[in-house]
Amino acid sequence: MYAALRDRFTARVAAWARRRQGLDEPPLILQSRRLYILPTAPGLSFGLLLFVMLIAGLNYTNSLALLLTFVLAAFVLVGMHECQRTLNGLELVLAQAADCYAGTEGLVELRFVNRSAQGRRALAVRSPGTRASHFDLDAGAQITVQLPFQAMRRGRQRIERLELASTAPFGLFRCWTWLHLPLEAIVYPQPLGTRPLPRGGESRSSLESRASSPAEEEWTSLRHYQPGDSPRSIAWKAWARGAPLMVAQYQGTGGSEHLLSFAGLEGLGLDARLSQLCAWVQDCARHDAACALQLPGVELPLGRGPAHRTSLLRALALYGSGAA
Amino acid sequence: MNVPAPQTPLPVAQSPGRAAAGLGITALLVTAALNWQHLAWWCLPLLVLASALHYRATLRGQALPGTVARLGLALILTAGVLASFRTLNGLAAGTTLLAAMTAAKLFEARAVRDWYVIVGATLFLLLAACLDRQQLWRLPLYAFSLWLSVAALRGLGGGAPQGAPTLLRESARQLLYALPLAIVLFLFFPRLPGAFWSLSSDDSAITGLADQMSPGSIAQLTESDEPALRARFEAELPPVQERYWRGPVLHDFDGFTWRRHRGVPAAPNAVKFRGTAYRYSLTLEPNSHRTVVALELANPAGAPFAQFTDDFQLISRRPLTEPQAFELSSYPQAQRGGELSGEARRIDLARPEDRNPRARELALRLRASAADDDAFVVSVLNYLRDGGFVYTLAPQRLGRDSVDDLLFRTREGFCGHYASAFVDLMREGGVPARVVTGYLGGVWNPIGGYLLVRQADAHAWAEVWLAGRGWVRADPTAMVAPERLNRELLQFGAGTAGSALHLGAASHWITTLLQSWDALNAWWQDEVVGFNFARQLNLADWLGFGDRDWQTLAIALGAGMAAWLLWIAWSLRRIAGPKRPDALERAWRRIDRRVRRAGHPRAPPEGVIDYCARLARTQPAAAAALAPLARRYALLRYGPPVPAAELRAFGLEARRFRFPRG
Repeated sequence: MYAALRDRFTARVAAWARRRQGLDEPPLILQSRRLYILPTAPGLSFGLLLFVMLIAGLNYTNSLALLLTFVLAAFVLVGMHECQRTLNGLELVLAQAADCYAGTEGLVELRFVNRSAQGRRALAVRSPGTRASHFDLDAGAQITVQLPFQAMRRGRQRIERLELASTAPFGLFRCWTWLHLPLEAIVYPQPLGTRPLPRGGESRSSLESRASSPAEEEWTSLRHYQPGDSPRSIAWKAWARGAPLMVAQYQGTGGSEHLLSFAGLEGLGLDARLSQLCAWVQDCARHDAACALQLPGVELPLGRGPAHRTSLLRALALYGSGAA
Repeated sequence: MNVPAPQTPLPVAQSPGRAAAGLGITALLVTAALNWQHLAWWCLPLLVLASALHYRATLRGQALPGTVARLGLALILTAGVLASFRTLNGLAAGTTLLAAMTAAKLFEARAVRDWYVIVGATLFLLLAACLDRQQLWRLPLYAFSLWLSVAALRGLGGGAPQGAPTLLRESARQLLYALPLAIVLFLFFPRLPGAFWSLSSDDSAITGLADQMSPGSIAQLTESDEPALRARFEAELPPVQERYWRGPVLHDFDGFTWRRHRGVPAAPNAVKFRGTAYRYSLTLEPNSHRTVVALELANPAGAPFAQFTDDFQLISRRPLTEPQAFELSSYPQAQRGGELSGEARRIDLARPEDRNPRARELALRLRASAADDDAFVVSVLNYLRDGGFVYTLAPQRLGRDSVDDLLFRTREGFCGHYASAFVDLMREGGVPARVVTGYLGGVWNPIGGYLLVRQADAHAWAEVWLAGRGWVRADPTAMVAPERLNRELLQFGAGTAGSALHLGAASHWITTLLQSWDALNAWWQDEVVGFNFARQLNLADWLGFGDRDWQTLAIALGAGMAAWLLWIAWSLRRIAGPKRPDALERAWRRIDRRVRRAGHPRAPPEGVIDYCARLARTQPAAAAALAPLARRYALLRYGPPVPAAELRAFGLEARRFRFPRG
């Protein structure tokens, strides 16, 4: 009951702010018009403390107690202004969202620049429903912040609203703003499926043996781990030595060719089929195998490499949305 | 254009930085120490111990005590407070309880939330100290404690932990910003004329006059330089011999101790206020007996704040737990009382039958040889003057029959001894008499423009009832030790203040220093501590707001706050807003504006030299005019530092640049 009311209220406020502020386009300088500020829970308690102090001072007509109360109250008010100043004039120069797989956390990248002569502290930015990324910005510094968002469903996902907040300098007030950026992430289907990779026409490789034991013996190069890579292909030994997460890439499968066909997956639902195709695309990319994709109405020719892989995954992500 | 340096994001901090915790603990200890006068003896050691344990645990990463241990500790501490004070009520017990619980909180302080609680408790302890004591010398200590507390609070706001110097510096700056608003609020926030409720006062140990007197029990009277009252006279000062400040009047004597009489019967005590009137404003330090100690004899007509008793005391309607100011007028030559009721006569003739038998003998002997009451008074005073009595502040103790002991054995004492003996003799001789306590004297402070009466000026004298003349003051101490009265005269004449007397005349500057300090204290007491609703209204009046009521205060308050808000917004913008372009940048922007208006704008990423090159293709004349300026700009911007005069010269030339037409 209470939660439902609160959600409805939050949605109302969000819609109001969206109407009021319009769509934001980086580069963007935060103006006071769009900054909101409210006391936090410790702030409310502190207000209560000040009120009790005021009553005590008034009751005992004690000037010194009143002076103390007034100094503290003014001090907190200065803090409130300072809190608002933390966001006011902050510049957002870049915002982009990376593609990701459904059911995982995608990443949004934001770059902020502080052109003022004063540092900005205790900033936090987050997309609704996920954890915040915290950062400080010294005078004249810039920062690239990555923040997770929850990728729910395959297709285009708009990240409607980000919240940028600060509790500096006391944590008694929280100043925030909503950013309505033109952020759109393409969410690939979840890579799931148990069916074996279909053998392409004139494949010469020993794909099965690779798939069954992708030992670390014959990899030719390492590249950085990306979400969606199979844990089996991770170079764990290198990681254990302190290197970042790397993925081993194998030689020798380069010759194989696979036709990944939507129509060939009978007995599965739409999403299951796309998930299976997605898993296959990953497999092919992992083994640097050439592959082609056939979806009803969409055909992608044979190819290999990261760009090809991305175009396949995007085709899968956007299949059926009418904007392939 | 300067390229901002990149920074990396932070992990989320759950606990405050070490600096914030250190500041919080220091603030707590300092504030608790400022409450030392009413905390239980074990409270400060407990806090120190708790801080030490907290540090040890956090430094070594040890676990803090569990819930059961903490609950047990809280119960033990509550029991400790009960054992020390027999109550949890009142300022002393409440403060001790708060300090003890904060000490217990230190055992579990990890999260930011716990530290908010600790800082809040510290601020409350500071409030308790402010409620209890308001002397000027404490002000810097209170300010220091406040500074530490808010610096700790600043460390709780999140972000990367900051060092203590940064926290202290930033909060000092913030306090300076806060001060003007605090002053506006202090002056105009409407005060209440009275209290809605009062705590039971447990502060009865105030030095100075008490409401009883047993001179026989005192072996050493310590002279205290603490101020008792200050009086600012509108016109001339009363003469030295008239500076009797009347405090509690004592009627009941059991042979050893004098006490006030509860419920003196209401009898018509017509006082004729005549002779010279002295109008003055009196600032009275706190006392426990509620007497407004005023120059004899204060006219109650102008004193609605007090009740005028039949023995001419002004009893304040409110407890005098803090310094207060009163406007009074006194008539030293007033005639006191017309008729004495039977009941009043009985009270002021009462004398324990079985005590002081030798004094009774003496009184009867002197009485027999005196013609009337007046002559009897004179003969007793003469007896005290000629009897070889000595004035001393370190007399021998007296026995149960204190008057006999004084008159026939020790023969030494101070004002209380002689007043007691004199009144006892008077009563035995059939003259109604009573002891009046108060102060005698007062030192002129030329810097503050007031008469200062110190606790050391405490005095006791007597009043006797003489038919036809009413109550007449008799000061037996003056008979024994005339110099006791002359001392004030000497001090007044030499222009020295209290404790500087024994430093000699050479230390004139010390005297000035002491007087300045006391004058500063007086100002603090009158203008700051004593600032109240009435003063607020006077202030509103003085500012020319016309009506003396709440609304004018509210208007003044609103105007002051609005002015402060504007000021704070402006000054913070200056600090936190975008950097102001430097002189060179401003000069070139002026050129940019001109070329833009002429229809040949410079593209944002284009350098000035490149721009000139591009301009030369379409507008050779303009480019020729601009090229030297652009080269100088580049040299000034990227070359070695140059004197400011050169920058100014460039600014002037940039100002003179016009885009050539055609």
